[in-house]
Amino acid sequence: MLPEYTSISYPANFMSNSSIALVHQDRVFPDKKLPGDLAMWFFILAELTVFALFFIGFAVSEQLNETMFSQGKAQLHQMSGLINTIALITSSFFVALALTAMHKAQAKKAVLLLLTAKVFALIYISVKVWEYLSLFKQGITIETNTFFTLYFLITAFHLMHVLLGMVILAFLAYSAWHDKYLNNDLSGFEAGTSYWHMVDLLWIILFPLIYVI
Amino acid sequence: MYKDTLVQINIIVNPATKSWLLLVLLSVIAIYLPEAIDNRCIYIISVLIIVVIKGQQIVDVFMELNTAPRFWRLIFLSYIVLLPIIITAIYLM
Repeated sequence: MLPEYTSISYPANFMSNSSIALVHQDRVFPDKKLPGDLAMWFFILAELTVFALFFIGFAVSEQLNETMFSQGKAQLHQMSGLINTIALITSSFFVALALTAMHKAQAKKAVLLLLTAKVFALIYISVKVWEYLSLFKQGITIETNTFFTLYFLITAFHLMHVLLGMVILAFLAYSAWHDKYLNNDLSGFEAGTSYWHMVDLLWIILFPLIYVI
Repeated sequence: MYKDTLVQINIIVNPATKSWLLLVLLSVIAIYLPEAIDNRCIYIISVLIIVVIKGQQIVDVFMELNTAPRFWRLIFLSYIVLLPIIITAIYLM
């Protein structure tokens, strides 16, 4: 038997771009809509593809140089990788809360949440810089061996994305503070938050691949 | 007082909060797995299953793709499932 759906109307500010929702039992499904801009999602897909090639390249290189890679991984500070994982996850969490606040038209609260997210992103950057410096002190550079070439290339490329994400979060906070997201049009805000979550998504694959396995 | 309690309950039951707790827990578990699992093959598969679960949480809850058109959700879920499968296959070859 087909589930029973009923169509009901909600006030315009119930959820962005959604005045009609489907209700099934206790769950509410707003109209299916891609958050943010379509162009941003294609950009995210392109970024994910580039990183996928890096990850696959890293795994193949490890299979070809098992001893070198296991020795290289032993020289990495695994706990700093875990701290960075938790910092990025927590940062993403606050960004998700900021979007929820924007859906409820609480722009000032969203700004506060975005700034909190940036604090955790700064923790990530500080730990990553400390990690690089401690490796440099041991005389380890990008030219040491294949493992460290790939390690520096992949993690620095990811770090660049974190820095760009922080610029985007700053722009979102500035725009929200100045009430730029009026009339429930949150597509720009959603696009920016999606980019930040992509940075988090990449790290949760990068971390086990380079630090754990 | 009543409003404050409602706000606290709202934060606790927020799906993003549940996902955040799960993500932190799985990250800690992943790093201590080598001490619990001796078999490297099972260990690699376990770590990459954790990656898939974490990826699904980020895609569906943080990125809010669980309310997006099915096509886009499937593309991103495929990424976080297929990539760990490919990596696992390379490591187990």
